[in-house]
Amino acid sequence: MAAGKKREAYIFVLPAFIYILFVLGYPLIYNVYLSLRNVDVKNLTKGGDVFIGLQNYIDLFKNPTFLLVLKNTFVFTIACLLFQFTIGFALALFFYQKFRLSGPIRGVLLVSYMIPMSVTGLLGKNIFSNAGLVNNLLSKIGIIGPEWLVNTSTALIAVIIMNCWVGIPFNMLLLISGLTSITPDVYESASIDGANWLQRFWYITVPLMKSSMLSVLMLGFIYTFRAFDLMYIMTAGGPLNSTDVLGTYSYMLSFTQYKFSQGSAVAMVLFGCLFIVGLFYLRLLSKED
Amino acid sequence: MKKIIGGKEAARDLRNSVIAVVLAILFLFPVYWMMQISFKSDAETFGKVLSYYPREFTVYPWLVNLQDKTFLLSLRNSFINGFLTMGITLLLGVPAAYGMGRYRVKGSSVFLLTFLVCQMLPASLTLTPMYLIFNKIHFLGTHFTAPVAIAGASIPFAIITLRPYFKSVPVALDEAARLDGCGPLKAFFYVMIPAVKTGIVTIVVISFLNGWNDLVYSMTFNVGETMRPLTANIYKFQNAYGTKWNCIMAYGTILVLPVILLFIFLQKYIVGGLVAGAVKD
Amino acid sequence: MKKTLLALVLAVAMLLVSVPAVLAEAPTEITLWHYFDASADAQAIVDWVDEYNSIQNEIHITATYVSRTELMNQYTVGALSGELPDIGMVDSPDMASYISLGVFEDITDQLEAWGELDQFYPGPLESCKDADGRIYGLPQNTNCLALACNMDLLKAAGYDHMPTNLAEFQEMVAATTDPADDVYGFAMSCISTEEGTFQLLPWLRSAAGGAGVNVDNLTADSAVNGLKVLGDFVANGYMSKECVNWTQSDAFNQFAAGKAALAEVGTWHLAMTDAIGGAFEYGFCLLPTGDEGTSTSTIGGENFGVCSGAENVEGCVNFLEWLCSKDKEGEWAVVAGKIPTRQDSVANYTYEVDGFNVFVDEMNYAQARGPHAEWPTISEAIYTAAQSVFVDGTDPAEALAGAMEKITPIVEANPLP
Repeated sequence: MAAGKKREAYIFVLPAFIYILFVLGYPLIYNVYLSLRNVDVKNLTKGGDVFIGLQNYIDLFKNPTFLLVLKNTFVFTIACLLFQFTIGFALALFFYQKFRLSGPIRGVLLVSYMIPMSVTGLLGKNIFSNAGLVNNLLSKIGIIGPEWLVNTSTALIAVIIMNCWVGIPFNMLLLISGLTSITPDVYESASIDGANWLQRFWYITVPLMKSSMLSVLMLGFIYTFRAFDLMYIMTAGGPLNSTDVLGTYSYMLSFTQYKFSQGSAVAMVLFGCLFIVGLFYLRLLSKED
Repeated sequence: MKKIIGGKEAARDLRNSVIAVVLAILFLFPVYWMMQISFKSDAETFGKVLSYYPREFTVYPWLVNLQDKTFLLSLRNSFINGFLTMGITLLLGVPAAYGMGRYRVKGSSVFLLTFLVCQMLPASLTLTPMYLIFNKIHFLGTHFTAPVAIAGASIPFAIITLRPYFKSVPVALDEAARLDGCGPLKAFFYVMIPAVKTGIVTIVVISFLNGWNDLVYSMTFNVGETMRPLTANIYKFQNAYGTKWNCIMAYGTILVLPVILLFIFLQKYIVGGLVAGAVKD
Repeated sequence: MKKTLLALVLAVAMLLVSVPAVLAEAPTEITLWHYFDASADAQAIVDWVDEYNSIQNEIHITATYVSRTELMNQYTVGALSGELPDIGMVDSPDMASYISLGVFEDITDQLEAWGELDQFYPGPLESCKDADGRIYGLPQNTNCLALACNMDLLKAAGYDHMPTNLAEFQEMVAATTDPADDVYGFAMSCISTEEGTFQLLPWLRSAAGGAGVNVDNLTADSAVNGLKVLGDFVANGYMSKECVNWTQSDAFNQFAAGKAALAEVGTWHLAMTDAIGGAFEYGFCLLPTGDEGTSTSTIGGENFGVCSGAENVEGCVNFLEWLCSKDKEGEWAVVAGKIPTRQDSVANYTYEVDGFNVFVDEMNYAQARGPHAEWPTISEAIYTAAQSVFVDGTDPAEALAGAMEKITPIVEANPLP
């Protein structure tokens, strides 16, 4: 492309870039700085905190609670992505078909996505309580439901289900948008060639959708990995940290226990994991280009 | 796809519609659950038997919320949050997505990485430093403060979502526009934006929701009842009533209703965009 | 000529000086943040501030409601930026942390000159002090925990009185449990927040079989036994495991709905007994955490402090002294369902008089939390230990030993008072 055109591109991109650097650049530097020191309730304003290098990080990886929280975060994210994406994609393909109610109902499904996470958390707390809706429904088919939010083995499952309830329509919306950008002509020529729906899906839809699928998965990962509101309201991370994730744990350290440097270190670990995933995403994108 | 008119097609239409309705009922049942609790009395909410509908219908949980003296102010503030976040996101995010989707520029991967990275920052990490910097430039306690922070996450989101759309628009389209004598800005507004209408509507909805649903930024940057959005009342209710489910669920319903109404209004555009086909040449 | 000029300059200078003097007579604008959110106390604080504004001309206060979660965040970020209200409310166990963070002004000298500090109960007042004994605020109200009893359910189980000691309490909890009717013997909050610790401490600091211990010695037999009693309730199905997610309001709601025969409740719940709506007979008694004639409870309550950088510290302290004066303390206790923080105050309760008498008596057995700047970490260790007993069935002695591993280094570095 000509040099003039390149300059044009910067005119479009730079305002957003500068804005983002202004709003989020400082927080990042601030946290890196904080995570390398020993700032806590005793020295935040009185001074006397010192540079301790990677000590906060070393302590974290020796801390069983942190390791549990790290594991929870990955289990939560991967489980949510798996269900959200596959179910969301199936629904996207279904609603992409043209039938009378496809438009209105597609919109109706989005309602769960529109509910603020804090309210979703409350709703989850209600329907997963011992005598709540879920166990009531289970008892109707003869199953005695577990004490969902009380057992360390089931609380995370309940939280994952609530998150999927929100995530599925979100995935569907983004994937439908991706599907609409495929020109119908491609399908028409394929059906003339006699390809069945599975072949059409695998050889036409998937390759053409690769870019949207990648961004949906990537965004899904980011949003799920940094989850906060849902657990904060639904379980407060409990019982026994079984639903604590990096987001809630970092917040608890910084804002409840005033261990500011440790909280920052946890946030930086969260950030580091996402950064690696981001790099991976970029590599895939550049290959595709 | 060509429309084949016939009995087979009609049967398929009916079958799909039935499946869709069943899906919708399953999916919306929790929402129904929320609404029906909001019309129950205290006694029934804590009753020993779980009922699937309010046996004695009452609007008192709604009145608890609506009669709050700051309700209208909070409602206004929530709308301000939603619309300002949407405005900032569209203003900065859409051009950037266009620039990155249509041009191959040096350092584009650096830009993309930066945008990605910035979305990754959890609120617990950004809250304190943002507060400090906003305080320094005397930018706390305005209606713009929270939207500026929220847009920090929704702009990258818009860029990452819209970029593929812009990429998929055939090059012929804007080349034709250029040949007709359109400048880059004119081509952007009159050719590209309509071509990615569906994607833009998605961003409109999602960025509005980001603003509307925000809790932590609005709460920290704007103290005082006149600045507080509806979401912030959650703590008021949790503290005052514990899990007084009927009042809490009324609060949830009130929080969701305006968004649903707005969405129903916008849905025409979404469906319209889909029918028109985003990229026909 | 020179003299005239001098006179003129002097006159102008005097004018300039006197202008600010005139301005200074206008009251200083003061912001006050509180998290009173029950209808009665939320209205009362506004009315009282209006009253104070009308009786003096030094400061003019505006009271703003800021939810508790929000307020705590504001103190934390405010400690760094200096953006704080002039007067702030704080939950008593959190005060030590905020003092350490520099949120509150040292107002010891003015308060000592006031001469009424010795009227305050030591527990609540201690929570306003740092380790050196400097004072940063005044306790505005106090409360503690006692036992609420559903007399109908007790009667049905064959008891005509409320429990007076731990053994009897255990018996009654077992006897009143009725799974068929969805009734548990006991309900309390054991949520993973400060509320859980607040309700757990009476049992851990139980004086059963001798003297009770503080949180620096939770491996003592009395503490282990206290936790074991609660753990057995859960294991035997006398207390719902859901208590690990219940706030204090939730636990009270269970009691009010008739789903728990006995419940650990706070003084402020006396202002909410209309939720029971006459559905059953109820009564209150001392928490039966130990032998006959003993009890333990935890002190709660809210303090008010003057925040660092306040415009008119002296004026603010004057307001605190008025707010926590003998008469006002008594009035507030009645309005908000609390207990006065001063021994010379009289609260003429107009409702639940018997209940209040129990709580006032219970105050004699109530112990403070900390004060300690790292109380939140100590608190986390405590509720985590209890939850691991309730949820995972961990042995109480082992769970408390785990808690002490976290608590001991903290109290060794900075001992509890």
